[in-house]
Amino acid sequence: MQRSAAPSFGTHVRALREARAVEDSRFSLRQVAARCGVTPAYLSRLERDESPPPGAEVLVKLAHELQEDPDVMLAMGGKISDDLRAAILARPRLFADLIRALRDTPEHAVLRILREVRDGDW
Amino acid sequence: MPTLEDDDLVFRFPQNCGRSTFRIAFQRTLRIPDSDREYPLPPGLGTFPLRHAEDFPALPDRMAARGGVVMPMWQAEALWINCSHAGRDDLPVAVKIAAGKINAVTGEAWRPGLHRDPQDYVVAPDQPWLDGFASAPGQIRQFVAMPLGDGYTAEEQITGQAEWGGLQISVTPMKRAAWDRLRKAWWPGLGERVAYLHDNFDRMSMGLGAGGLMRQRIEEDPHDLADWDQRATERVFVSLVHAAQWSALTGQQPPTAPPSAQAYAKAGLPWFQHYGCDRPALPGASPLRDLFSVAELHKAQTGQVLPGSQDIAAELPVRPFGTRPREVRSPGGW
Repeated sequence: MQRSAAPSFGTHVRALREARAVEDSRFSLRQVAARCGVTPAYLSRLERDESPPPGAEVLVKLAHELQEDPDVMLAMGGKISDDLRAAILARPRLFADLIRALRDTPEHAVLRILREVRDGDW
Repeated sequence: MPTLEDDDLVFRFPQNCGRSTFRIAFQRTLRIPDSDREYPLPPGLGTFPLRHAEDFPALPDRMAARGGVVMPMWQAEALWINCSHAGRDDLPVAVKIAAGKINAVTGEAWRPGLHRDPQDYVVAPDQPWLDGFASAPGQIRQFVAMPLGDGYTAEEQITGQAEWGGLQISVTPMKRAAWDRLRKAWWPGLGERVAYLHDNFDRMSMGLGAGGLMRQRIEEDPHDLADWDQRATERVFVSLVHAAQWSALTGQQPPTAPPSAQAYAKAGLPWFQHYGCDRPALPGASPLRDLFSVAELHKAQTGQVLPGSQDIAAELPVRPFGTRPREVRSPGGW
């Protein structure tokens, strides 16, 4: 099954920010940049994919600011969270095989491997 | 069925709203002083670990039969329940919460379904947290863990039995049609003591008793009861295990005991206040209002003052909440 290409990092950030800016002027480029500790010029370059994605700290700030899942923002920026890194490094072969095996698995099937909480008698 | 992800219970209702997930986490927190004084909301100190109950053969049979998840708590440790949504749509959900199968909002015995008169659930996302038993309008008594069978828990005080312990939770999504209707409406503008039965329980089980007084509104449901899709209700039993036995059960270390409220206040760190919506607060329930607190029972049983029960003398720095999540600090981060 052909999948549509994921948007670039910059396009994704810009779309998130502009969607919020329509409702709330605090999501202007300048104000979001200030709250994330970067310059407006740098954020603008990021949104136009003219600079490579920032480090993990700024990615997490952007995620919180734009109400995006931090894992998604980190992944789009080519990074991985510390807890996921530690989990993979603890059992690298297992997780490498697992991720490759699931790479093309439909989302609903991946969700099925998350263990459901079994209900009992009460 | 809910899933367990990163110590959160995660509920998905794809038939009602494919893009929304609802998460419940149990936050470690300070036990506020147990006195007549009303305290603001304490911070979160990180989430309690949750594990699938079926993974541990050493679990007592009765606890294993209930399924669900297990969670470690220290004696006299407090918690609050954090409700959050993820995804683009915050599908409203009705959340029923009980401790020892005593409803934390009405003080009634657990029963299936959602009810009004009195309303026996809270609505998320409007109600992001629940810190305790609803004792009066705008006031709760903090959830505090105590060993089941010693007479401290709400369950033992109300039923005279130490049977269930733990926490029981059900989550009911809004019907799809009602949610579509709401979204359309919102979008344009954007929008005395009893002889407790001590038979059959094990020394591992914990239940929740009533701690100090806290200012927290539990608001009326603004929706019609018929708007809730009760055929889609999911439920989970959360068994509470004494943290001292967590390692033997799971092979994992339990969280360290939390700091005292006195030590936290002495460090000048913030407390919180949430003003919520303008809707009326639920009145609280007389069975819950009449509960003896953990400190009162401890004094009556031992003649000793429960450690950490003294009021905090200093003025507490209180921060109001906006739309951001309630602050969570790492236990070592202050």
